[in-house]
Amino acid sequence: MTTGIVPHAAAVTRRALMVGASAIAMMLMGAPSFAADVSGDLVLLDWASGSEQDMIKALEDGFMKANPNVHFKEINLTVQGDARGAIRAALQSGEKADIFINTWPAFRKELADAGLLRDLGPLWDSAKLGDNLSDAWKALGTTDGKLYGITYTFGDRSAMFYKTETMKKAGIDTQPTTWDEFVSNFKKLNDAKVIPIAIGAKVWSHAEWFESIYEHLNGVEKAADLAAHKIPWTDDSVKNTLKKWAELIKAGCCGDANTMLAMDWDNASDAVMKAGTHGYQMIGMWNNDRAQSTDGLKSGVDFSIQQFPAMGAGHDDVSSVDSKEFSGLTIGSNQAAADAFLTWITTAEAANIVAAHNLASPSNKVDASLYSTVVKASVDAVSKDKVQFVLGDLLPGDLVDEYRVQLQKFLQDPSDAGIDAVTQAIEAKAATAY
Amino acid sequence: MTDVALQSRGGQRDTPPAAEGGARERTALRRWIADAPAAYLLLAPVLVLFAFSVVYPLIQTIWLSFFDIKGLAKPRFYGFGNFVTLFYDGNFRQAVVTTLLWTVCTTALSVGAGWGIALLSALAPRQTLIFRFMIFAAFGVSEAVTGYIWLGIYRPDASGLLNSLLYGIGLGQFAHPWLGDAHTAIWCLIIAYSWAQTGLPLLLIYAATQAISKNVLEAAYVDGASPLQIMRHIIAPLSMPGVRVALFINLLGSLRAFDTIYVLTAGGPVRSTETIGFFMFRESFTQFKLGYGAAATLVLLVAVLIVSLPAIIQRTAGAR
Amino acid sequence: MIGKAPRWIPVVVGLISIAWIVPLIGIVVTSIRPEADTVLGWWRLDHIQLTIDAWIRVWSKYRLGDGFWVSAQLAGIATIGSMILTPAAAYAFQFLKFPFRRTLLIIIINAFVLPQQVVVIPLFTLWRQMGLIDNLLAVLIPYVGLSFAWSIFLVKNFLEDFPKELVEAGRIDGCGPISTFFHVVLPNTLSSIFAVGILQFLFCWNSLLIPLLFLRTEVPLPVVFAQISGQYDPNWDLRAVAAIVTTIVPLIIFLVFQRQFAGGSLTTSGSKE
Repeated sequence: MTTGIVPHAAAVTRRALMVGASAIAMMLMGAPSFAADVSGDLVLLDWASGSEQDMIKALEDGFMKANPNVHFKEINLTVQGDARGAIRAALQSGEKADIFINTWPAFRKELADAGLLRDLGPLWDSAKLGDNLSDAWKALGTTDGKLYGITYTFGDRSAMFYKTETMKKAGIDTQPTTWDEFVSNFKKLNDAKVIPIAIGAKVWSHAEWFESIYEHLNGVEKAADLAAHKIPWTDDSVKNTLKKWAELIKAGCCGDANTMLAMDWDNASDAVMKAGTHGYQMIGMWNNDRAQSTDGLKSGVDFSIQQFPAMGAGHDDVSSVDSKEFSGLTIGSNQAAADAFLTWITTAEAANIVAAHNLASPSNKVDASLYSTVVKASVDAVSKDKVQFVLGDLLPGDLVDEYRVQLQKFLQDPSDAGIDAVTQAIEAKAATAY
Repeated sequence: MTDVALQSRGGQRDTPPAAEGGARERTALRRWIADAPAAYLLLAPVLVLFAFSVVYPLIQTIWLSFFDIKGLAKPRFYGFGNFVTLFYDGNFRQAVVTTLLWTVCTTALSVGAGWGIALLSALAPRQTLIFRFMIFAAFGVSEAVTGYIWLGIYRPDASGLLNSLLYGIGLGQFAHPWLGDAHTAIWCLIIAYSWAQTGLPLLLIYAATQAISKNVLEAAYVDGASPLQIMRHIIAPLSMPGVRVALFINLLGSLRAFDTIYVLTAGGPVRSTETIGFFMFRESFTQFKLGYGAAATLVLLVAVLIVSLPAIIQRTAGAR
Repeated sequence: MIGKAPRWIPVVVGLISIAWIVPLIGIVVTSIRPEADTVLGWWRLDHIQLTIDAWIRVWSKYRLGDGFWVSAQLAGIATIGSMILTPAAAYAFQFLKFPFRRTLLIIIINAFVLPQQVVVIPLFTLWRQMGLIDNLLAVLIPYVGLSFAWSIFLVKNFLEDFPKELVEAGRIDGCGPISTFFHVVLPNTLSSIFAVGILQFLFCWNSLLIPLLFLRTEVPLPVVFAQISGQYDPNWDLRAVAAIVTTIVPLIIFLVFQRQFAGGSLTTSGSKE
């Protein structure tokens, strides 16, 4: 995985210094501790539920076994929908935790600006986390030049799920790797009475298409600029992306707009995996779990993924990803244990727990044989590409809302005039959102 | 004598002749002073709990509405800025219209349905018990569950009950992405919410019908009135008090509807089914613009106050 | 009842109530079929297999017993609280004269419009400062406090048709306002009090948002079940079980007590003879 150039401090001399100073360092607040016997309560602000919560519990148990004197405690936030509201409420009213789970870079910035996150740069260097995580993951957890989050799982967001039976029915033997192949397959699918793409535009999942097309046409750096509002939303890059998407719609990809707006991502998933009425769905890797547990299909056998096709604009080595990270909170009281945990999470033991729960781990030390077929395919695809975090999670609160609603409007009217109206509306909101 | 069984602990007392005019006024003033301590004693716990649960959050809300708050950043004083922005916000204006439509229609539907079923059931209480129970059960499930039930009914393809039925009886061409079409989404929402809310008016109005003196009904029956005539001329008018209570409660209650909308449409498509309550949630919780959300809430409260004030004043004017 | 109930009435009512019965049956069916079969609709007949797997899983995976106990405590105490305080307040508003009577009444009744989300965040901060987070009181206070908006209105409406001659009689015979309340008014308003009780029990039992934010270690059923569906796994079968388990208790209470308020009527027709 490549990224922008990140200067890497020389670790050797630093290590010698640290060993000598560790005794004193342990006395200081915020200094990373290397003692294997950290102790006390370690409080996690946890909002996971369902099978994710099972994995978090497994990680906690694993850490406590490795550090018997530490007792993991949770502030459990049961959340409805976007968890950020509940997390903000908890933090604002004074809840104290040492670590918490974050999956939104925009939220990371918000918390960092409010002084709630600890700079983990020193920990990275002193605990040599670079041995376990590549610099690309460090970059993903960085905001404004400081490292705030240690990624423990990630998901490919440029993967298109499909059901093998549907592809067979439509006579598609090999999955398309280029845009033209992809679009030309539409005819075969339509002939087999299958709508090529299931877009769940009810809330947010339709944005995935915008983002992958954008990145393949313009590259990750430009996407980062757009997210930071260094280029306006009325920029040609945005309009070209929407025009390309409009081409797709005109080629008969998606069915009518009202049906798209009525489907959330899970309806779309059922349409592809269960009902077989649609061909592809581009959605996160949790769909892998869903297809297995909810729909009862076998990963790699009944369904699989195909990476987003190459568009030939010179930026085809990109992937959109999401990730979850652990961050250290400044309001916690057991920073030593927190650091120990943040270090442990990159090790093989923790990575394998993640893999065993059918999720991808960014750690170099993970045992890749634990991955199921589909997860392995996604990991392989991402490891070759430049990565960009899902655009929607990079945008500030009200902008991302407006962005999603305007993309809904685009689906209702993908004409050039519609594109102009949509981009202007998003830009108007962006002007006030930063 | 009324039908209400009286059990006065002190034994039966004869009603004395009404006091003369002048004496009555003196009594009234004396009462006004004498009653106050007793009244406040009876009201004290209520007022304390109310102060905590409502007054304090309300004051906070008013305070917040004067600030511009973005996420966890420091709030900055904004004066009436939020209200000005609200006025120009197309989404808010749309929410106001949607809210009006929503409250009127859901109240009319739920109270109307409850009333009709109550009238019918009044003549056959035992036989209709199971049905009334089921309708009340629909009221008893939480709002979110109601949302999920109707989500399953409205799903766009054949996996939605409604479309499935239409296909089944050969009317497949009417199958529709109900929640994705901005024209149909709001009506589907209204129907779903009214479905859930019918149980309460049914309960209240049915109880009112049960208080009607059996003698009156017996007499009408003996006189040869048909059940429909009894319903129309006797039960319906006498159930009006129940209808009034149900109207009021369902009207105000519909303004708090949230989970049903959230689960079914999330305010969409394209924010067309947002009520003011949902708008407030979106701004306060999702976008954490607490100040803006607070301003929206205040506008809603003031609007309701203005509308309900005349009604309440009128009802409490003739107080004893 | 009167003579013979017309036979067509149960039929008509039955037909109408199909609209309510069918979706409720759907929940039951969803809870006893494997999730993969009901994903495209619980009425699907392609693959019929009944299983109580969801019921077993819910029981073993979630602390239902604890949830039941906490729910019972919260709903029970809040219900009793409302049932005691509301009639007193409604009586005061209806029959007593005192300064600010109308203002207070208007404020209390209009509070009904306040959505729970507005109440929850300021209260969260307040309870935290007072150290009441994870304390049942943090939930009970808003439960009772927020109920007054509709409960006082309900009971007061009933009292409007209460014969004021009786109240006058009590006063003239020397009863102070409070003993008039206890001896004259209260015994005769039981039906409306029961109505308040049943509705309050129902609302509190189903309430999710407030205990979600204010309670951590001991949580009521709705919060237990909110953890069922992960962000990305719906678990419809488990959710159906949860809905049934949560709803069944207030419904049973309703069945048991429904005579209490239907009999005396809380919304009198004023039919006096």
